[in-house]
This record gives sequence, C-alpha cells and structure tokens, in this order.
Amino acid sequence: MNSKILKVRNIGISAHIDAGKTTLTERILYYTKRIRAIHDVKGKDGVGATMDFMELEKERGITIASAATYCKWRNHEINIIDTPGHVDFTIEVERSLRVLDGAILVLCSVGGVQSQTITVDHQMARYKVPCIAFINKCDRVGADPFRVIKQLKNKLGHNAVAMQIPIGLEGNFSGIIDLVAMKAVYFEGDMGEDVRIENIPENLLPEAIQRREELIDSASIFSDELTEAALEDKITEDLIISAVRKAALLRKMTPVFIGSAYKNKGIQPLLNAVTKLLPCPSEIENQAFDVDDDESSVVLSNDLKKPLVALAFKLEDGQYGQLTFIRVYQGTLAKGSSILNVRTGKKVKVGRVTRIHADQMEDIDIIPAGYIGALFGIECASGDTFVSPGINLTMTSMYVPNPVISLAIAPKDNKSEANVAKALNRFTKEDPTFKISTNQETGETIISGMGELHLEVYVERMRREYNVEVITGMPRVAYRETISRRAEFNYTHKKQTGGAGQFGRVAGFMEPITEEDFVFESKVVGGAIPTQFIPSCEKSFKKCLEKGPLMEFPVVGIKVVINDGSSHSVDSSDMAFKAAARGAFLEGYAKANPVIHEPIMRVVVETPTEFQGVVMGSLNKRRGMIASAQDEGRLCVIEARVPLADMFGYSTVLRSLTQGKAQFTMEFAAYKQVPQSIAEELAKKAAEEKKSVA
Amino acid sequence: MLKKNLILRNSLRLIGQRTEDIPPEGGFGAVLARAGVGKTAFLVQLALNSQLSNKNVLHISLNDPAQKVSLWYEEVFRNIAAQYNINKTNHLWEAVLKHRFIMTFKVDGFSVPKLEERLAELTEQNIFSPHMVIIDGLPFDNSVHTPLTDLKILAKNHGLHIWFAIRTHRHEEPGTGGIPAQLENVDDLFEVVILLQPKEGEIHLKVLKGRSSSSGYSELLLDPSSMLIKDKG
Repeated sequence: MNSKILKVRNIGISAHIDAGKTTLTERILYYTKRIRAIHDVKGKDGVGATMDFMELEKERGITIASAATYCKWRNHEINIIDTPGHVDFTIEVERSLRVLDGAILVLCSVGGVQSQTITVDHQMARYKVPCIAFINKCDRVGADPFRVIKQLKNKLGHNAVAMQIPIGLEGNFSGIIDLVAMKAVYFEGDMGEDVRIENIPENLLPEAIQRREELIDSASIFSDELTEAALEDKITEDLIISAVRKAALLRKMTPVFIGSAYKNKGIQPLLNAVTKLLPCPSEIENQAFDVDDDESSVVLSNDLKKPLVALAFKLEDGQYGQLTFIRVYQGTLAKGSSILNVRTGKKVKVGRVTRIHADQMEDIDIIPAGYIGALFGIECASGDTFVSPGINLTMTSMYVPNPVISLAIAPKDNKSEANVAKALNRFTKEDPTFKISTNQETGETIISGMGELHLEVYVERMRREYNVEVITGMPRVAYRETISRRAEFNYTHKKQTGGAGQFGRVAGFMEPITEEDFVFESKVVGGAIPTQFIPSCEKSFKKCLEKGPLMEFPVVGIKVVINDGSSHSVDSSDMAFKAAARGAFLEGYAKANPVIHEPIMRVVVETPTEFQGVVMGSLNKRRGMIASAQDEGRLCVIEARVPLADMFGYSTVLRSLTQGKAQFTMEFAAYKQVPQSIAEELAKKAAEEKKSVA
Repeated sequence: MLKKNLILRNSLRLIGQRTEDIPPEGGFGAVLARAGVGKTAFLVQLALNSQLSNKNVLHISLNDPAQKVSLWYEEVFRNIAAQYNINKTNHLWEAVLKHRFIMTFKVDGFSVPKLEERLAELTEQNIFSPHMVIIDGLPFDNSVHTPLTDLKILAKNHGLHIWFAIRTHRHEEPGTGGIPAQLENVDDLFEVVILLQPKEGEIHLKVLKGRSSSSGYSELLLDPSSMLIKDKG
C-alpha cells in the first residue's frame, strides 16, 4: 500500500436521492480501472451498479448501506464512501462524514438544491468537511447549472464558484470548458474514456473569459500572490488552484464542476479536482479523548510509528463473518498485531486485513494512518475505538441521532425466533440508530429507528437475509400511574371458612414522591404486626404496583408507610398479611387521587425558516409546548415538549409539511400528568380492549 | 399559594410599583449596564415575576442561543427558590415554564417585520401571546431609532410592554439628566430606565426614569453572588 499520505484522499459522495451519486461512483470506478464495465443503477441489465451491492438496494435503486471502495487516479489513492441520499438513512451519511476528509456534493442540474441536499450540507458543516460540488445531469431537459450555483449560494449559503462552464446543454451537452486551463474538454470513445482537449469555441469565449474573471476575483481574496499576479497579468494555473484549494479547505469556497455521469462527461476533470482541491488526511486535524486524563482532548498525528488509534465506523455481516470497516487515524494497523478495543477493554488479534471494493476485497498487510480498510473476525460495535495496548484514547463519539420511531415486532412462527434474535443483534451492531428493547408490560420486542423507511428496510432485511417473516404493529406508549395526594388506609383481612382462618390488619398511609419509584417504610411498634409478616406486606405492596388499579399501567412515585396493624396468634400468616396489604393498597390508592402520567419528549425540529410557522402549528396541534425558536440564518431550530403519544407518524407529517426539508430529533424528557380528556379516552380504550379480550 | 408568596416577597415591588405594571402597555423599559454586571439576570427576574403572575413572557435574544437563555432562567429560578427555602420546585418550575417563550435571532437577521411575522405565527395559531417582551442584544447605535419606533407601534398593537437590555461602555459620558449615551436620541420612547451600577463591591439599581419619587439610588441592590435583587441593608 502506498503510504505517501499526501497522495491519499478519503472522500464521500453525498447528495439528494436520485442526484446520481451511484452512477457517478460507478463511472469513477470505471475510469480508475477498478471495474471493466458500467452497469445501470436500476438494474435493467440485471447486474446493477457496483456500489449498490445489496439485493434490496438494487430493487429500490438507492444506496441503503454505504459501501466503501478505493481507487487510484494520477498517483493518488482515493477511498470513496458512497452514501445514501434518503433522509431516513442519515446516520450512514453522518458516519461517513465522520471518517472522511472531503466530499463531493452531487446536485442535479434540473432539480438543483433539494431537501436532502440541505440536510447533507448541514451535516458536512457540522463535521467541517471541505467539499467540491458536482452538478450532474447536464444532458437532461431543463438543465441549468448556473441556476443551481445560484441556489447553492442562496439556499445553502455557499460561496459557490464555477470552475467550468458547459459546452451546450440538455441534448446538446457535449463537453466542458475548464476555466483554469481555459481549454475545451470533450469526452469521446464508447464510455467517454478518451479526453480530447481543444481550444475554446469562438462563440463561448466571451462567456468563458467573464466566468474566469469571476473565479479569479473570488479566489484572489484568499491569496495575495494571486491578487498580485492578477494585477501584473501573470496568472498561472497553479496560482488559481492553490488559492481555490486554500479557500475550499477552510470551507470558504465551494468550487463547482459540471457534467453528466450517465453520459460519461466531466468525470475525469472531477477526479482531477479531488486530487487537487480536497485535503489529504494529514491536512485535517483529528482529535481523540484520553480516557485516563478526564477525557482531555489529544491531537492525533499521522505518524506511522506512533501508537495505533483507529475507529470502527461500519460493520457488515459478510459471507465470512463480521466485516469491520475501519479508519486509522494514527500509527499503523498491521495483520497479526494485537489491538485493544477501548470500550470493552478486550485485546484482539488482527487476522485478515483487506481493502474493500464494494463486495469484493483485496488482502493487504497493513492499514497506515489516514487510510480506510476492513478487518475480518473482529467482534466490536460500530463506533468502537481500537488502540495499541498501553494507551487509552477514544475517538470523539460519532453524533448519533436519537431514534424517532418505534414498532413492535414478533416472529410469525416459533421457528423464526432464533433468526430474528440473530438479525436484531447484527443490525444493532451495524447501525447505532437502530435500537431494540422489550416492552416490560407487553413483552413485545420493540425496534426503534430514524423513520418508517429505516425500520421497514430492517424488517425487509430480516425476511431476505435471515429468511424470517415478522408481524409488525404499533407499540404502546409507556403510560404510568401515580397518586397525587396523601391518603390513609386501615384494612382488615378476615376470612373464616372452616379450618384455619386468615386474619391481618394493616394500617398506615401512602404519599406521592418524585425521587424514586417506590419506597416502603415500616413504623410499626410494639409488634402490632409481627416482624416476620412485614416483608410479606412489602412484597404485596410491591406486587400491587405492577398493574395499577386505575388502568393497569405500572404505578410509580409512591411511598407506603405502615404504622399500625393487628394479628391473630393462630389465623395470621404470610398469606393473610399479603391479602391485607393488597386490600390496604386498594383502599389507600382510591383515596389518593390516582392519575395517569405519560412520557413527554423533548422534540427539536430543524427547519428552513419559511416553514417555521407550520412546524410550530404542527407541534401545537400535538399538545406540544413550544419552548423556543432559534433563528440560524436559513434554518430555524424549534424546541418543544410533546407527549410521545402524539408523535407517531410525525416524521411523515413533518416531511410533507416542509417538502422534506426539516428534520427532527426526539428524546425522553419527563413523565407528566395526562390531561383529563386524554385520561378519559385512555380509560375508554382500556375498557374496550378488556371487553374484546373477554 | 407558593406562587403568591413569592410574588409578595419579591423585592422588585420596592422599585415603586408592581413590576408587571411597569412599563405600562405599549411601554418600553430599559436596563443599562456595562458587560457582565447583570442585565440579563435582572431581566430574567422581571420575567419570572411576570410568569409567576401567569403572564406570558417572550424573551428575544440576539446574542445567545436559546439553550443559554434557558440556563439563565434555571439559574435565577434556582437562586430564588434557595433564597426563600423552597424545596420542591418541580411543579412551580413547570408552572412558570409554560409562560415563557424564547426566540433567538442573529443580530443582523433581526428586524421588526420579521418579529411581527413570528409573533403573528404564534398568536394566530394560539401558540403563545406575550404580555411582556424582553429584547437582549439589540445594538443601540445611530440606526436604532427606526426599529424602536416600529417596536413601539408593535407593542401598542399587541398590548404588551418591552424591556431592553442595553450595554453601556465605561468611556462614554452620560448625557443630560444622567441618561446614558445609548438612549440619547430615543429616551422619549422609554417609560422606565434603570441603570445597574457597580459601586464598592455592590451593584446598585439606579432608577433614572419612571419612578414616582425623585430619581436617585433606590434601596435595591443586586447580590453579586446570586445576581438576585435584594433590599439594601
């Protein structure tokens, strides 16, 4: 493996769905000679694009799981992560941005800046990923790259600058004019592999000169040398490139390239731009946290001799076991070496080390700092940090959005149970946004994720990859019961039906508490309740909490104090005191004004400002209490507290209200009393359910 | 009961009137101080006092993110609770929370028409109708007259009053009547002007305008440790 770090590029290709990312990646792999033929992404020829290697993805025509691949271009090694464009899979995009040093933002020359472009762009900004833009599909009817550049400026706030202009558009799109070299570039041969460079056609020369002026004006802000050279009329290509690169790395300029991946035009210059304008790993500062030093941050270096620090950023279940995609930030990861998983503290021996090209792989001996590779047979979770034994650094944890939707699932038959468990175990390891839990009350398995499609894909994957059918349903909101005032009880359990009788009296009070779910205290003195029966009372009270008398929800936030009672030398027993405590609980509970509590979520919606009103309205309609609205230029962040029960289906609603331009996160905030009207509805529903069961 | 007690005990009443009545509907109040002296803490106390009286407060910050503003409220509320030995504050906090709405803007992104638009979105959908507005971070420079005039109309139309936090500078000499330079050309728009002045380790509240009695140092101080208003002595 080439260890010249300056010639390494770790890049992502991000965009809105259908902007043509997968086609572009396919062309890149073709021109870099990683593949010998080009296939259609939608699978018309039955093969499908190389990056979309999952069967399911081929069907949907979108890249669900990002595949890592590598290629070589002009002595540079380029690691590419193809990322999904759908909003439901943003974790994939987030993850790839975490490990990448630069990105190509692909836009459609007809559709322009679309909803997901805004999301992806925001993510790139969060990770400060420098990017270049590629305006694709210039051969389509309605193509207008300069309108898209305008949108990049206005909608995304980019300082977008054209590096090229098209020669013809739509059906006449035949090549590009390179504004740095001031040459016309044509792509010939069956697959556009022959690049022909010519003088700029006369009719396009004035426009080319004007656009070049604009480019130089924008770039010279970042380079005194270029400014001086412009004044002296001694501009060189290198000076322009160096100024543009400087600005792009600071994310202060977005150089824009154009082409049509499908028509094999403009890809080679784009690859040149990747090598010339995007950073190498050593130009990006990466930090880790020192676990031994109160998580103080440590700057990592690309020094191959330093101890290893690597991040497992993606897991896949391959033919030969778990495949772990890993990015090395410091040191070298070598075959046969021992490495430490910082999270588990377990030492593992590195077996097979590979370089991945979609679903094919190439064995290698080492992965040096700055590179991306994959390991076989390493047990870990996505996001784990691996280090050389002796150091205890952990990479900054990846930003993992909280799941926003849950679904109850159950295997259709008993045979499938084991496979469902296996599948869920695999998915949770692969994808930190996919979570499983068990509803303690209903015993149902609950899966949670980033959206309906996200969960749907996993249900589908269970069927295809693990051959199991599951039944899905709506999960229940975890309501709770509690009391709202102090109440006393004094209950006598007395039974005489022949043989030994039952006798026990329990007296005391119950009161609401907030700090704990249940507190039991015995203040019984003088043996009013014999000591040996007090644990039975406690047990019985505890048992009563499992299903509240009001609506059979668990009871929380209650303190029970017993301070008196009576017993009988013959008829008192554990069972009698259990029954007495149960009676006492019911008596006290009825008097303590029991109420239903529901989970309230902290919902944060990020939306373009023009949708602020409708978003607030939608939260308000869901019994939401809006706490703040933060204006962030083009975007606005709205924070609200909304009952979980009213949040189901919100992702779909939000998407349709905002043309898919808003996103939201949701996390548990607190339990709060359900309003009377809702409590009545719940009671009605519970009664109906009881009736149907009976 | 707890709420009532807190309102009754509130030292702000000593300014002269019940704080929720000053300034009157459509009126402006200003709190001026140098950076870090306690303008926000003071205004948050005014806000919490209104909230305790079930009056809605819209807090607009042009400097800080919503989360930071929210922290101010939590901190001041905690300090008030501690001062009056209130232990179980959860319910009280929940009760005052629903009377607050935080809105933040970038300084250059703020304009009165924009605020008007946002306010309309809130009121028309019955989401929130403020009685009191706090604007923290509006630059009081030469161009402030127009937005203030527009805000005055907005305040009158919506039947609310607005408090402003205004930063003063050490090197600036006050104008006539001790009115700080920032209010020089706009002081006619303000019904109440309060200056926070650090003096001998204490922060004094000087009511420059809007107090029935003659101006001068009031009997109130800001406790530098909790930033809460307290009686002198």
